[in-house]
Amino acid sequence: MPVPALIIRDLRFSYPDASWALSVPHLQVEAGEHVLLVGGSGRGKSTLLQVVAGLRELGSGSVEVAGMRMDTLRGAARDEARGRSIGMIFQTFNLLHGFTALENVFAALMFSSMPAAEHEHRARTLLSTLGIADADADVDRLSVGQQQRVAVARALAARPALVLADEPTASLDPENTETAMDLIQSACRAEGAALLCTSHDPSMRARFARIESIDAMIAGGAR
Amino acid sequence: MSAKTLTDWQIVMRSLRARPLSTWITIGMVATSVALLLVLFGMRTAARGAFDRGSGNIHLLVSADPSPLVAVLNGIFYANAPSKPIAWSKYQSIRSAFPYQWAIPTQQGDSYRGSPTMATSTDFFSKFEPVAGEPWKLASGKFFERPFEIVLGAAAAKASGLRLGQEVFLTHGSGASREGSEPDEHAGHVHTEFPFKVVGVLEPTGSAHDRALFIDLESSWILHAFDRRERAGISGATTAADLEDDDRKITGILLRLPTRAGSDASAAMQQQFDTLRRDTAIVVAQPAQQIQKLFEIVSNVDGIFIGMAVVVLISSSLSTMLALYNSMAARTRQIAVLRVLGASQGRVFGLVLTESLVITMAGALSGIVLALLGGIAASAWLKASIGLVIDPTLDPRSTVIVLGGAVALGGIAGILPAWRAYQVPVADNLRPAA
Repeated sequence: MPVPALIIRDLRFSYPDASWALSVPHLQVEAGEHVLLVGGSGRGKSTLLQVVAGLRELGSGSVEVAGMRMDTLRGAARDEARGRSIGMIFQTFNLLHGFTALENVFAALMFSSMPAAEHEHRARTLLSTLGIADADADVDRLSVGQQQRVAVARALAARPALVLADEPTASLDPENTETAMDLIQSACRAEGAALLCTSHDPSMRARFARIESIDAMIAGGAR
Repeated sequence: MSAKTLTDWQIVMRSLRARPLSTWITIGMVATSVALLLVLFGMRTAARGAFDRGSGNIHLLVSADPSPLVAVLNGIFYANAPSKPIAWSKYQSIRSAFPYQWAIPTQQGDSYRGSPTMATSTDFFSKFEPVAGEPWKLASGKFFERPFEIVLGAAAAKASGLRLGQEVFLTHGSGASREGSEPDEHAGHVHTEFPFKVVGVLEPTGSAHDRALFIDLESSWILHAFDRRERAGISGATTAADLEDDDRKITGILLRLPTRAGSDASAAMQQQFDTLRRDTAIVVAQPAQQIQKLFEIVSNVDGIFIGMAVVVLISSSLSTMLALYNSMAARTRQIAVLRVLGASQGRVFGLVLTESLVITMAGALSGIVLALLGGIAASAWLKASIGLVIDPTLDPRSTVIVLGGAVALGGIAGILPAWRAYQVPVADNLRPAA
């Protein structure tokens, strides 16, 4: 039985002085499973992804990614675990400007457990699969669509068990949203990675077999 | 050829190249301050070397100047003509009182177009070495052998343009009056009655002697005897036969004491120094000691210059810190992305610290090259223009100290920006820009 990509137990997180808190008694994402996390803007979807990625300290509970307790890790150990087990895709891609497409993928690989000798083959193959013909082009010279492909390639480069996609289509029109989601989901399937994707776009629901609502994970005052 | 992977070093270099103006200006500032420090250290060493040259293989210098330091400045560096003479009889009594290796009489006071003249014996060229271990060498001609022959120091020859066989007239006194001009009682007067024939030009020695012209003692005495006879209303030619005891005066004695074979030091130095000091009519100086004293006097000024250069180096480090610190504001997203990808806080701290060290190292190495090239150019110019020999190579110890200091300061300068990078809140910097 494959290890689940994500198990959250009794998670509680709140910002200082906030009147509400994230409260997740149990959330499990199986290996390779695609889950959509829905809810309106500002409801805490991004915060939950950041807590899962270990970028915010949870108040209580546990977060287990690919069998590894992220919440018990500290400092460099947590950073290393994130680099190896989690890929992240952002609404604005967050590529490294001034670097090539290839180097952006290398940036994810340099913190992974993959031997350096394999980096180039892995990065070029991934970029080629995702339709980037000129891997040595500066990302600033690529189209928005190509930049998104580079961002997806970077998220999958280290062969993570879990990909966290934070509103990846929020700034796209419906046509490009379809294209982008096709790309993200097909790439995750091809790599065997689980996907936890957030969106406030109702049209996304049709793409996912499993949908979770952030509203069910909020405790405390109304937001 | 494209990269096979990405390394921390490539990230550092890419980051520096992303803001070329700031990077190059900061490197330039570090380079300038390092070069300035090295040049000042080099000048101090070169000045010391230039002062050490000139006293050569002298153990003691006797004169009638007011102090030993003045005696050295006048007798070896031609600062001024000694004001008080020493009688020839005093020279003879000193020479006969101790078995010196040699005792060379010198007389200063005359000049040629502002260049000082030293009247001395032929021992000056055969026994005295202007730089220990480096005897006089002739560029052309020969040393003087008889009265009214003159030998030119390298710089004096270059400045005057005189050539072998030409005749010159010396000026009584150190003024700069020119041949053919009216006598100037303040500047001295030109002895047109006594032409001196240029018989030799010396190779440069890198010492003050290069600025001087050398004649034999008897010639100088005859000039003064002529003046005495003229004041007494005696006309006609003046020759050696007209010299009186009062004409036979000198202004200095260069002494070398007996030494053991292979050694420059003399066991009799202190005893003989004390013996000569008892004579209140003269002063006796150990040139090396007086040069050390001179450097102690000027060390405060020297220290101020070095201090200023250190301040400039610190300023350039502050510039490095500010340039990096200010760049952090534009790089928080990049740092946050690297953190998301798995970079630890320590690794990000190291990347920024490395940037500071790279800037400082590049600046320091450029500064060393700048100082070296400047030193070579300055050395060539000084040798060509005034015959001053200065070693253009950088003192390895000073270079290592300056390089180490610059890199240490660069490391310190990088700590604050690196700390800022260390503390970048990752989640807050991944949000879409407003």
